[in-house]
Amino acid sequence: MLVTWKYRRRNTFIQSLDPRTRLIFMLCVIFGLTIPEIWDFRIILPLFAVSLTLYLMAHIEWKDVKRAWLYIFVLVFFIVGLNGLLSGRGGPSTVTSLPSPVVFEVPIKIPFTEIGWDVPVTVSKIWFALNQMTRMLTMAILAIPIPYTMDPNIYGTAFRRMGASDKVAFTTDLAFRFLPTFARDFSITMDAQRARGYEMEKLKGGIAGRLRRLAPLIIPVVMQSTVTGEEVIDAMDLRAFGTKPRTWVKDNLKYAGRDYFLLGLGIAIFVGCCVLKWGFGIGEYFVPQFFSNLFL
Amino acid sequence: MSNQPLVIENLTFKYRTRPELALENISLELKQGELLLIAGSSGCGKTTLARCINGLIPRSYRGERTGKVLLHGTEVSEMPIPEMAQIVGTLLQDPERQIVASNVFNEIAFGPENLGLPREEINQRVDQALKRLNLEYLRERETFNLSGGEKQKVALAGVLTMNPSILLLDEPLASLDPASAHEALEVFRSLADEGKTVVLVEHRVEDAIEAKPDRLLYMEEGRIKYLGPIDNLPKEIDHTKVKLPAPWVVQRVKSLEIPAPPPPKPTVEESREPLVVFEDVDFQYDEEYPFILKDVNLKIYPGDLIAVLGPNGAGKSTLVKHAIGLLKPTKGRVLIEGQDTRKISVAQIARTLGYVFQSPTHMLYAPTVQEELEFGPNNLGYDPALIPTFVKESVSTVNLNGLEEYPPLGLSFGQQKRTTIAAVLAMRSKILVMDEPTAGQDFANYTRFMNALCDTSDNEQSILTANFAATLFITHDLDLAVTYANRVLLFGDKHIVADGDPKDVLKDVDLLLKYRVRPTSLLRLNLDLLPRTGQFLPAESLASYAP
Repeated sequence: MLVTWKYRRRNTFIQSLDPRTRLIFMLCVIFGLTIPEIWDFRIILPLFAVSLTLYLMAHIEWKDVKRAWLYIFVLVFFIVGLNGLLSGRGGPSTVTSLPSPVVFEVPIKIPFTEIGWDVPVTVSKIWFALNQMTRMLTMAILAIPIPYTMDPNIYGTAFRRMGASDKVAFTTDLAFRFLPTFARDFSITMDAQRARGYEMEKLKGGIAGRLRRLAPLIIPVVMQSTVTGEEVIDAMDLRAFGTKPRTWVKDNLKYAGRDYFLLGLGIAIFVGCCVLKWGFGIGEYFVPQFFSNLFL
Repeated sequence: MSNQPLVIENLTFKYRTRPELALENISLELKQGELLLIAGSSGCGKTTLARCINGLIPRSYRGERTGKVLLHGTEVSEMPIPEMAQIVGTLLQDPERQIVASNVFNEIAFGPENLGLPREEINQRVDQALKRLNLEYLRERETFNLSGGEKQKVALAGVLTMNPSILLLDEPLASLDPASAHEALEVFRSLADEGKTVVLVEHRVEDAIEAKPDRLLYMEEGRIKYLGPIDNLPKEIDHTKVKLPAPWVVQRVKSLEIPAPPPPKPTVEESREPLVVFEDVDFQYDEEYPFILKDVNLKIYPGDLIAVLGPNGAGKSTLVKHAIGLLKPTKGRVLIEGQDTRKISVAQIARTLGYVFQSPTHMLYAPTVQEELEFGPNNLGYDPALIPTFVKESVSTVNLNGLEEYPPLGLSFGQQKRTTIAAVLAMRSKILVMDEPTAGQDFANYTRFMNALCDTSDNEQSILTANFAATLFITHDLDLAVTYANRVLLFGDKHIVADGDPKDVLKDVDLLLKYRVRPTSLLRLNLDLLPRTGQFLPAESLASYAP
């Protein structure tokens, strides 16, 4: 059985919005930053401020989202940030092609060999890593509150009313609930194996050996996910899903004034980013002088 | 051609992945308003037959099928799914497998929504189903927060809104407490009385009889062993293979003069130090959630064979998770052999306390049963020379002989359940803790297993005596407590409401009913005969005391 995220009803502006508004606004910001490839901090920072404001208006309790934030921080700071800092890749080529002073060098060595080299960290790479992390956070801050503040009973309806087919809408509804279900199954499996004396912290050996030792956790969780998937399919088949155009009983979504305002803002952000970049050439990556001066 | 709701003619089926026939030459015919009970042991073909009736075979499960399955005269495999789904409504064994929506209303409306019915009609059908099953109070609740009994009723409501003429109920009592099971059986009977054809697949025959089935189909190895009136059952079917009402067993044992010595129960050694101690334990998952345990005090001594009874959602599993250290008390403490569970790891506790989880799929991973059973002893660092002996004895105790090289995840649910029990038996912890050890298993298998486990004679196969200092099992099966336990804990209202000798705790029928434990025919017969027996006995052993 699929479980839902820890959703609570709250009397907030965010939860008074039509779910479609929030999804469309989020897509506008994401597409506004990614399609015209905006790397200019003068555009990114205001968008970050808008996202942060909306996040704070959701009034989500920290204890509910701290785990989600942990994953986001690991992803944004340790994976995206570190990659940007060391390689300068994942963005415009000018990050590495423009001349930029080296701030320090990071020695990297392939384990068990003598092969290694020093990776230069330039001012440009540092600025790029900061920019990249801010861009990612701008998008993540809009996405994180959705499962905690959007009624899980209207996921499917929201996507259907956004034009998705019955199958896509219901599949998206199921997909939304997959992650918390996976987390629950992982937790139960972990408990079941610990009760048999299994200790993950005592994994030994090389990578292959460690992976083998993870099998008691991975296989039951994967099997459980597969079984759950098959069960859901059987249960849906037995009740004639997908055989006729579906009636969505809870279809009472309606835009209000606040929805039109936010939709307008979202569309303005998307169109504005495109016009600035393609019309006026604003939005390219560059290192501002005040930042370069910090390292002189 | 017959236009009866269900006609099966010479049905034979073999799964593509299995060498043996799952069904062989099955023929039967069901009338409108008839309630058929299908019984048999694990792997006898009950579920396969159900899949043939609801069309999952051949649509979802591949194999070779011959013969016919006709729904109102039309072959099920040729029937479009929407049409078939409106004729056969299927209620699966575990409601968790059936519920797809996150909210009760959405779940019940799911089928009619898929049929594209008008909104007004869907609302009307949902309201009717909610009212029919007295579920109006659940209308806007989240499905994953419901109790087992509520989930089962919601799943049934979801089936009823499709307005099927045939109801196929695949072991619907498996996850229900006795009171919920009784309520469900009353609903099944009334649905048959209203004209639905009901196929009830259930190995808990004694319970299923409460639904007053018109006929019984008893299966063994994919074949029909008996098909006929329920009244003839004691003469036709061995009481050791299906669970029959105690008076029927007594009658059969007396008429056939079958000797049945009572199984001796282990003696509690209260003079020794307790193995497990709960001291004023409170527990809640979070400050904003209600307490699940409150003021729990408990001592488990060597020799204890404890049955934990209580309603669904009472906190029984939470109690034992504290003993294994998976949960830590919010207040109070739990001591395992004198050590606070907060200060030792779960792996350390596993040497003292082996815990069999309720769901096998959360535990099984190895490519063979043999390797699955070696996992725990290896983790605990046992002498490799001894492990094969532990594994062999465990396999034998739970009747998995010959399946050692099978992949556990490819076995039937009942066999998987026994594999998980064997996996913990092989760990030779001092205390064996089992969460619903009989769920999904047939009567013959779990009787054999419990007999082997609890046998306290000098028999070398006496697993419990030889290897475990104490055993605790959570169960909805009151007869397990009557037959095997030497101590009963009745759990309810977040704490232990009764604790003591089974004949002291279980004689208070009002208390049992208050906590949704429904007295069985075996308990009632034991209570009637207690002045003469002086102890609780299995039905066979009561034959020599019954008038």
